[in-house]
Amino acid sequence: MTAHKRNSATGRHRVFVEHSVGATQGGLHVLPPALPQFAHVGRFWDREHHCFSAKLLPGEYYVTTTGEQIATVLGSCVSACVRDRRTGIGGMNHFMLPQDASKGTSAWGSTVSAATRYGNVAMERLINDILKLGSSRDSLEVKLVGGGRVLGASAIDIGARNIDFVRKYVADEGFMVAGEDLGDMYPRKVQYSPATGRLRVKKLNAVRNNTLFERERNYLEVLEKEPVGNDIELF
Amino acid sequence: MGRLIMTVDDSASMREMVRATLVGAGYEVVEAVDGQEALDYARENPCDLVISDVNMPRMDGITLVHELRSLPHYRLTPLLLLTTESSAEKKLEGKRAGATGWIVKPFNPEQLLATMARVL
Repeated sequence: MTAHKRNSATGRHRVFVEHSVGATQGGLHVLPPALPQFAHVGRFWDREHHCFSAKLLPGEYYVTTTGEQIATVLGSCVSACVRDRRTGIGGMNHFMLPQDASKGTSAWGSTVSAATRYGNVAMERLINDILKLGSSRDSLEVKLVGGGRVLGASAIDIGARNIDFVRKYVADEGFMVAGEDLGDMYPRKVQYSPATGRLRVKKLNAVRNNTLFERERNYLEVLEKEPVGNDIELF
Repeated sequence: MGRLIMTVDDSASMREMVRATLVGAGYEVVEAVDGQEALDYARENPCDLVISDVNMPRMDGITLVHELRSLPHYRLTPLLLLTTESSAEKKLEGKRAGATGWIVKPFNPEQLLATMARVL
């Protein structure tokens, strides 16, 4: 195995030892540096696909230039997978819309509702970070996934709201949708590779995913409490 | 007669949200898709206020603010930057270019209108 030197300047290169393939074959994998804004996102070596994988929690997003995969588990949340077709640079987000009640924006209707504004920013952050790496809007390819009706008996179909939003957003922005896997009754395990554009989706058994539901519920509660739009500074 | 506001953003959804907010409050709105288009319009036409995104192709919002300040008829016009960027360094760049204020997305419609009313 090649010895990998640590980049002492950035401190971001870390050496990983893979134990999985049997004791005789443990190889070294160097974690590529993440873009600075994504230093907090957890990453691991994916033994099955032989690449590093960033694991997204609800509300997070990640952009990679180094051929990494991005993975997450979606219940009623949605992910937009966005990549530049020419360069393979791209990323993925993981979000849902907060409920509209009590945000006091009824005067403007759904166009400017708190939910729409929140969703817009979740999309724009991802797209801007890709554009900043030298892409143009017309070379972006989008795939959409998630939005399951995972709590079958629940009165409000949160997944459907998220789907309606994200479909409208990409249509309004004029993005090419290369594929989608939305709705249905199941949670999904998703793995996206911006370098190739490949999106793997595995449908999961709903009843065995209490952790997932718990995580989404907590995320939604945080969203409901967060004020949408309070950061204004006059110079 | 409503005051004329220019909204500059490369995202069609964002332009629509700002437009809906402003039109609902009685303003007239002109839209531009990037800094260059906004500057081309501004060279020939005065506006009462400009709300611009920062990250845009061709010309970003901070360059736009800088360019607008060199136009005699935009020397005193309120120029607000409306962006997902929230770092102190970026805000300082905006301030130095001559921006009037900085609003982080997602914006709150009431607060956007209140801020505009203050600087108009």
